[in-house]
Parts: sequence; C-alpha cells; structure tokens
Amino acid sequence: MNWCLYLALKQLFPTGKRFSFFSIMSIIGVALGVMVLFVVQSVMNGFQHEIRQTIIATQGEARVNANNGVLYNADSLGNFLKNQSEVAALARYAYGIGMLEYNNRSIFPIIKGIDFENEIKIVELQKFIKKGNLQNFDNRSIILSSELASQIGATVGSSVEIYSPMMLKALQTNEIILPRTLKVVATYETGYRQADENVAMVMLDTVQDLYGLEEGVHGISLKLKPDVRPEKFAFELNKNLTYPIHAASWQEINKDLLFVLKTEKTMMFFILVFILLVAAFSITSSMTISVIRKTREIGLINALGGTIRQCEACFMIQGLIIGIAGSVIGIAVGALILKFRNDIISVFVKLCGIEDFMLKFYSFANMPATYQLGDIFTLVTFAVVICCLAGVLPARKIAKIKPADALRNE
Amino acid sequence: MNDYIVELKNIQKKFENVFVLKDVNFGIRDRETVSICGTSGAGKTTLINIMGLLEFPTHGNIFWEDQNVIICNAKRLSQMRAKIFGYIFQRCNLIPELNVIENILFPKRITSKISMPDLELAKELLQRVRLGGFENRNVWTLSGGESQRVAVVRAMINRPRIVIADEPTGSLDEKSAHITMDMIINLCREYDSSLLLITHNQLFAKKMQTSYILNNSELKPFDYAKSEQ
Repeated sequence: MNWCLYLALKQLFPTGKRFSFFSIMSIIGVALGVMVLFVVQSVMNGFQHEIRQTIIATQGEARVNANNGVLYNADSLGNFLKNQSEVAALARYAYGIGMLEYNNRSIFPIIKGIDFENEIKIVELQKFIKKGNLQNFDNRSIILSSELASQIGATVGSSVEIYSPMMLKALQTNEIILPRTLKVVATYETGYRQADENVAMVMLDTVQDLYGLEEGVHGISLKLKPDVRPEKFAFELNKNLTYPIHAASWQEINKDLLFVLKTEKTMMFFILVFILLVAAFSITSSMTISVIRKTREIGLINALGGTIRQCEACFMIQGLIIGIAGSVIGIAVGALILKFRNDIISVFVKLCGIEDFMLKFYSFANMPATYQLGDIFTLVTFAVVICCLAGVLPARKIAKIKPADALRNE
Repeated sequence: MNDYIVELKNIQKKFENVFVLKDVNFGIRDRETVSICGTSGAGKTTLINIMGLLEFPTHGNIFWEDQNVIICNAKRLSQMRAKIFGYIFQRCNLIPELNVIENILFPKRITSKISMPDLELAKELLQRVRLGGFENRNVWTLSGGESQRVAVVRAMINRPRIVIADEPTGSLDEKSAHITMDMIINLCREYDSSLLLITHNQLFAKKMQTSYILNNSELKPFDYAKSEQ
C-alpha cells in the first residue's frame, strides 16, 4: 500500500483506538448530508413517478385535437390513427363547462364526455371508482369526483341537473331548454388534483347534445403500445397531420407541471446541499488544526524521505476517504429509512397526533419513493468532490511548510 | 580527492542578515563517529539540517560522494535523505497514530514495500534495545527512554550510511541517557553506519572518533585529550 494512503488511513483510524473522534464526526457529518439528500430526492422521484403515472392513467399517453377547436371528421381521423402501428387504443372525447345543481347547491365543473367503451381501454376508470359502479353508466347518468359530490352534497343515486351555455343562447331567441337530469352512478378519485377537483364524466353523446356539437368531438385520446416514446410518436405523427389538427404527448400537455416538479427537485437539492457544505467546512477546520498540530510530524516525514507533495496528498486522501465512507454510510442508512419509510411516518404522525391531517392533505397511506442510479451517482460524486476540496486548504498550508522549520516547531 | 561520504564546502548560512554559519568546511567518512558541541543557538541544528539535506545553505556546496547535491530537485533530495540518513531527534517524534512496530517500519514504507526480512530486522533491533515484546504497544504508553529507543531503531531500519543524532539524550535522565547513547554507538558500529552526534555532554562527545566545536559561527576541530592535559 502506498504510504500516503497508509498514513491517511492510520490518521483517520489510528492503531490501538477504536475510532478517532475527528474521523467519526466528519464521516457522520457527510453521511447525514448524503442521507438527507438521498431520502429527499428519492421521495421527490417517487412523487414525480406517481404523478406521471396518474397523468398517463387519467389522460392517456397522447392526444390529437384541433387546436382546442371542434373535430368534425373524427371518424376518418380515428381510422387513420388506428392504422398507426404504435397505437394500442383510442377514444374520442368532448368537454365543456356547465352548471351542476343539486339541492339548490351549484358548481361549475368541466363536463367531460367520454366514449365509454373505448375510454376504459385507455384509462383504468374502475381503479379510481370510490363508490358505486360503472355497470349502470349510460347517457342518463353521470360520474362525479368525490370532491365535486361532497361540494354539492350528492351521493351515488342522487339526481343532479346540468345546465349548459347552449341554454343561455336559446333564451335569446325566447326558447327554453330544460336542464338535463342525470343520475350519479359512481364517484371517483384519481389522486390527480386537476381531475379530482373539477371534472364530471358523462357519455360522449350527452356532451355533444348539451353543447350542440352534433358529431363533433374535441379530441382523441391515445394509448400507445409498450416501449413507444410518446414524445417521439407525437413528433412523427405531426408530420402527417395538417393544421389545426395536432398531436401532443402527455409530457407536452403537462409541460408546466413537469417543469415545476423538476424545478422543485433541483431546488431541494441545492437547499439541502448546504448540509454537505457545512460538513465540508467542519472537515477543513479540523484538518487545518491537525496540520498545525502535526507540523513537526510533517518535518519528520520529510526527513525520513517523504516529500511535501506526498504530505499534501496524505491530507487530500483523508478528505477522499471521509467523502467515500460518508457517502456509502449515507446511502446505506438512507436506503434503510426509505425501506421503512411508511412505518417511520406512521409512528411520527401518531406521536404528533396529525394522522387525519396527513391523510387528508398528503394521502400518506404509502409514501412513494424511487431510487435513481443517476441521482445516487451525482450525489456521491458531489459529496466526494466537496470532501476532497475540504482537504485542499489544509494541504495548501502544508505546501508552505519548510521541513527544517517544521522540525524546529514546538 | 578525500574519502568523505558527505562533505560541506564553504558553507555560509544567514538568517535575516545574521551569519549563523561562516565558511564551514566539514565532512564525514565511512563508519566515522563525529561529535559537534556548541552553545545553544550556535547553529548546530542548522549545520546538521544542511548536512541532512533538509535545508539549503545561503552559500556553499554539499557533496555526496563527489556529486554536488545543491542542484538536485526536491524528489531526488527526498530519495537521498531516505537512503543515506537515519535521524534521531531530541524529541523522539514518534507518530502517535502508529504503534511501535508501525513507527519503526514507516521509513521502510516510504522507500519500498515492507517485506518479511524487514519485519524480522525490526523485531531483532527491538530486542537489541531491550524492547522485545513491545511491537504492538501504542507509543503513548511508552516512557521517554523507551520512546527514544524506538526512535533509535526507526533510524536504523533502512541501514543508513549516516546516523544524524541531534541531542538524542537531551530529554532523558542520566541513566537512560547513557543506556540510549551506548545503544546508538553500538548499533552504528554493527551496521557500519557513520554517526554525527550533536551534544552538550562532553562524556558522549569524547566517545566519538572526531570532535568539533561550533563557536561564533565557525566550526573548529576539538581534541578533548589535549584540553584535559
């Protein structure tokens, strides 16, 4: 073993002592920083993954629409899309804002009309149903999100009335169109706030009738075959579509949300990285004191045939070892925390008495977490580089030491 | 031509315009034992630091077997220090993170890999300085005399051509000082090493073949036998 590495290891883990206080404190400092970063990043990844999966599960992987206008040739476009080898299933949809009334309580949700038979091939509706069932769903019924249902006090079996903007138009010509009465057959919850807060689902022909669309739809949702990349598929498909018809992947449709999620993760990394920086500063401070304390020793090593550069390397290696050991321990402890995250959270919320609060706002029955090798690599590299840099300052102090002066040092 | 292993020629050393050494000409031969005496602050340590290639003179040359080492780079000087010299200081300077045997073998580790014969030699030397069985002792558990004897063994492990001992018994009581000094002299004799001893103790200085005295920045030969007459 190279003597610089040998001495660095010995200075961190001296013979005859179980541990060196400086080494243990430095390694724990780095390990804590790495652990916190690893856990937070994994949880952020988990949430991102869940949100992405929910978006795909509720919207499909891609959509074709007419620049937010009405598609009147949906059948021929549908046939064209069916012939694309990448498409596994497709379903037409239309939507509009309407007024929903029950027991004199009104709300203004988006009424989404779905081509039920095809929609269930794209969206696992059954998975999101909380009450009621889909078997009774027809053009005289409606599915409400649990949030909407609770806002107007409706339950499964209630009859709600829908007023569309068409009715206001009819009033201008002294015509009166009566509201449509629909029976609530089910309530759903996707976990995707945008869908849960403001969307009610009815049959496609109900929306077409309510909004005077005739055979028109607002778009076609697509499910793609496995291993097809939605962004690439949409890009290639757009080459064969003419304006205003446009294909968009789920990433493009939700780009603002995805950007926010990515920014959140990056910001979290930069905020938490300060833990590592604090650890690095404490390592630098301890090592600098160590250099001053070991000035005579450095002179001795020089007299025995070591060079000042090798003494510098010895301190840099100490930083490297602290960085590697801290990272390994941090990742290991972090992985352990993530493995038992749900048990830890349940104990924590019970101790704090915030169980109901957590379940209501965060749905923390199962906290999602996903490791990404790329994140681990970045994190470990960052920690090791910071620790090496922490050793540079003390090493530079050594460079200024003259061996003869070091030996005279008291 | 002379038969010096290391020779200092016309050495001058100034610290902030004050001469510490003036025109010093001095050398050490193979297996020779040399003592240098002088008052505190006379420049003895500076002189042996220059001889031990730890410090450069302000003026003058240092020859190692007729090669001028002043022109050598830092790496070459380190290699020469490791191969030629063994150092014993007043303060034993053991590395506290290493145990006795690790401290002894550390100079070997700097120059090459540790082999079984090195380990054997270290153990044998420990026996010679009456520290057999101390191999795995932590150095902070040793007394001053024991620590200094470990430092003596460490200086001998590379079988140096010259052992430089800078007041090696300065911090020991009289009995320990005599024991340690005898061990240094005997080991140097046995391993064919020259010995350069800096000391205030005339008894030890008299045991050397050649003696010098450093006074007023000048190094002069000193004959104890004549001075006693």
